[in-house]
Amino acid sequence: MLKLDTINAFYADLQALWGISFEVNAGELVALVGPNGAGKTTTLRIISGLLKPQSGTVTFDGKTLNTEPAHKIVELGLCQVLEGGKVFTGMSVLENLELGAFVPQARQVKNQTLKHVYEIFPRLAERKNQRAGTLSGGERQMLAIGRALMSKPKLLMLDEPSFGLAPILVDQMFQMINEINKQGTTVLLVEQNVRASIDIAHRAYVIENGRIVGHGSGEQLLSFESVRSAYLGDSHA
Amino acid sequence: MNKIQITIIVILLAALLAFPQFITSESVLNLAVYVLLYVSIASSWNVLGGFAGQTNLGHAAFFGVGALVTRMLWFAGWNIFASMVIGALVAVVLALIIGVPAFRLRGVYFAIGTLALSQILLITVGNTFSTISSIPTEDLKVYSLVPRYYMFLGVALLTIVTAYVLLNSRFGLGITAVREEEDAAESLGVSALKYKMLAFGISAFFGGLTGGAFAFYHVGYYPQLTFGPEWTFDSMMMAYIGGVGTIVGPVIGAVFFVVLREFLALRFAEFHLIIFGVLFILVVLFLPDGFMGIWEKIRKRLLRRSK
Amino acid sequence: MLEAFAQNLVYGVLIGALYGLAAVGLSLVFGVTKFLNVAHGEFLMVGGYASFWLFTLWQVDPFVSLPAAIVSLLVLGAVFYQALFSRMVKLTEGVKIQNTLLIGFGVSLILQNLALKLWTADTRSITTAYSGQVFNFLGIRFPLVRVASLLIALVLVIALQLFLRRTYTGKALRATVENWEAATLMGIDIHRVYLLSFVMGAALAGVAGALVGVGYSIEPGMGMSWTLKSLVVMVLGGLGSITGTFVGGIILGLTESATGFIALMAGGGLTYKEVVGLVLFLLVLVFRPEGLFGSKEG
Repeated sequence: MLKLDTINAFYADLQALWGISFEVNAGELVALVGPNGAGKTTTLRIISGLLKPQSGTVTFDGKTLNTEPAHKIVELGLCQVLEGGKVFTGMSVLENLELGAFVPQARQVKNQTLKHVYEIFPRLAERKNQRAGTLSGGERQMLAIGRALMSKPKLLMLDEPSFGLAPILVDQMFQMINEINKQGTTVLLVEQNVRASIDIAHRAYVIENGRIVGHGSGEQLLSFESVRSAYLGDSHA
Repeated sequence: MNKIQITIIVILLAALLAFPQFITSESVLNLAVYVLLYVSIASSWNVLGGFAGQTNLGHAAFFGVGALVTRMLWFAGWNIFASMVIGALVAVVLALIIGVPAFRLRGVYFAIGTLALSQILLITVGNTFSTISSIPTEDLKVYSLVPRYYMFLGVALLTIVTAYVLLNSRFGLGITAVREEEDAAESLGVSALKYKMLAFGISAFFGGLTGGAFAFYHVGYYPQLTFGPEWTFDSMMMAYIGGVGTIVGPVIGAVFFVVLREFLALRFAEFHLIIFGVLFILVVLFLPDGFMGIWEKIRKRLLRRSK
Repeated sequence: MLEAFAQNLVYGVLIGALYGLAAVGLSLVFGVTKFLNVAHGEFLMVGGYASFWLFTLWQVDPFVSLPAAIVSLLVLGAVFYQALFSRMVKLTEGVKIQNTLLIGFGVSLILQNLALKLWTADTRSITTAYSGQVFNFLGIRFPLVRVASLLIALVLVIALQLFLRRTYTGKALRATVENWEAATLMGIDIHRVYLLSFVMGAALAGVAGALVGVGYSIEPGMGMSWTLKSLVVMVLGGLGSITGTFVGGIILGLTESATGFIALMAGGGLTYKEVVGLVLFLLVLVFRPEGLFGSKEG
């Protein structure tokens, strides 16, 4: 479904990604894990078109995305949730969700999707008329994911959805993501919380210093010496 | 500076000093005076607007205050040099007063705040001093352009040399650091405010000094004239067209500005401002380093070829 | 005396509505795009001359020709946006403000001097058959055209507010104000949003200009004063609030007329009222940079 082929990317003069290649198949939940500053967010920005690669290709459903502007990529069914959610704080929860369905094909089925999102996140239904700025961190993250779902994405990309959440909420969040995936949305999950992501992911890629250094199913990755010691705090293994 | 540059500067200086001895045409001398005036005012604007990257839209306030104070003291019988220095110092005081609050707010607010300040002064001065300010008749009898020329030459040289020394000093590093990255400069221990104030003070001083020279030069004008926004805008355009943030840029910009204006005025009257507007936009969009940027590119290409 | 003061305040509100209208346009553009268009006052001037021209050449009533003034400014705004400002979209906020300020300054220089060439430096005013009409209420005079202008300004501001609150496009604009990256990821085309807000800002300036032409007077050099007034009001009203900005305009009008009145009573010049707004502006910048009505954004 999504395929990255030897992507090189720069921020100003600094190379952030070095020949990144990986793919996500339809229906999968794939995790991209790695330490802070490894290039996880940059990879997502490349896919969603916020940043253009220096070389390499991104293809989605057989279509090359390299030259597509970011807003067109959303129309193709690819939606990224920014780190921290970045909800529109001055607008109501409902307005945020409505904006999620901005692209034409999503706007036509807006009301159905809204119902669906409220089922996944009942909390949002309770607060639909509240200003998004008054929501808690966890609620904002739910709103951001809900908003992204409103665009009816084929592939949902999540950037650190568990970041800054209370420990109980973290588990809930991962369950919800798992649930969204089971209902048919392909998910690319970027996380620092390696254990939790590997637990729900079908497959995972490990990224370090802008390069993919490991790949496998959850269990396979857990056997990686480096993954264990570096990300699971399991230095005795 | 290398030998060639020093030679060029010495020849230029000699030519500038000898200029009035060979040229007796009043209109040419007047033109030279205006070139020097614009060199000074553009260079002084450039110290803050170019080196420190703080767009000052109210430079006319300092030029005007310098002219106003100088004119008052000079007419009251003071020595012209003392009058000019006091005038320039009053401009510095004004800059310090407006600088502290304006610099607390970044970017756009400084620009708008300085513009507002100069407009306040423009209107107030227009109301307070509504009659024309003329050089008294007895002084007018001995009025000569040549000392005015040397006065402007002195101010222009002083401005350029100060800008040069400043840019190549420890302070210069701090000031340009402020422009490059304000947050980084702050974290590196550079007190951004201190350097901005320093640049603002120097910029205002030489703006005021240029105003003082104008007060010494002009036979009769409404005091409001020296507060007009065009002094600011012309300075800004000259600096950008020549090469903002460089020493030579505003000088070239000023020469270009006055010469082109004279040339156009002969044929197309007021079209010169439209042409400058277009040129200015083109420079901002495509040549952010102005003429100096072009020169730099040519020089590099020549150097590469000679290797 | 009291009546004269009240009369002055009424005049203040009437001109203040036009300050508000002009400032709402500037604020809309700045809020969405972070472009500081200092040629806003010149756009206003062009609107005034468009209306003046239509009236003088073809005797089109200035209120009837308002749509034409709007259309001409939409076109002018679009041309300047596409040719110049669109190149600034991707810059960081600080550089963007700085560069658009410089570009806007170049644009204002060009427009102002073109206007000088086309229409000379003379002060012009659109004088219709009903221009002198006034109705009295409680002994206070209400000039018909100025009251009509206030109503038009009010309708436009309310319409703009509804557009921003109720329509999908309006919400897209507001989303872009908050976070353009998040907005892009909703599938919103930032370039179109920028273009739209820029031309809408220009059109509002155009209407304000046409109304100034019929209720007051226009001249090629008027732009700078209107840009400054709009900036003052934009800061007074707090960035991002349409209602706050419009009310800010009326407050500026009131302050000016009150100052003018007091200065006149004290034997001072009327022009001091031009200064009061700027002084107020500097004071607000120093003591309350988030504006009089704005709240600090996190």
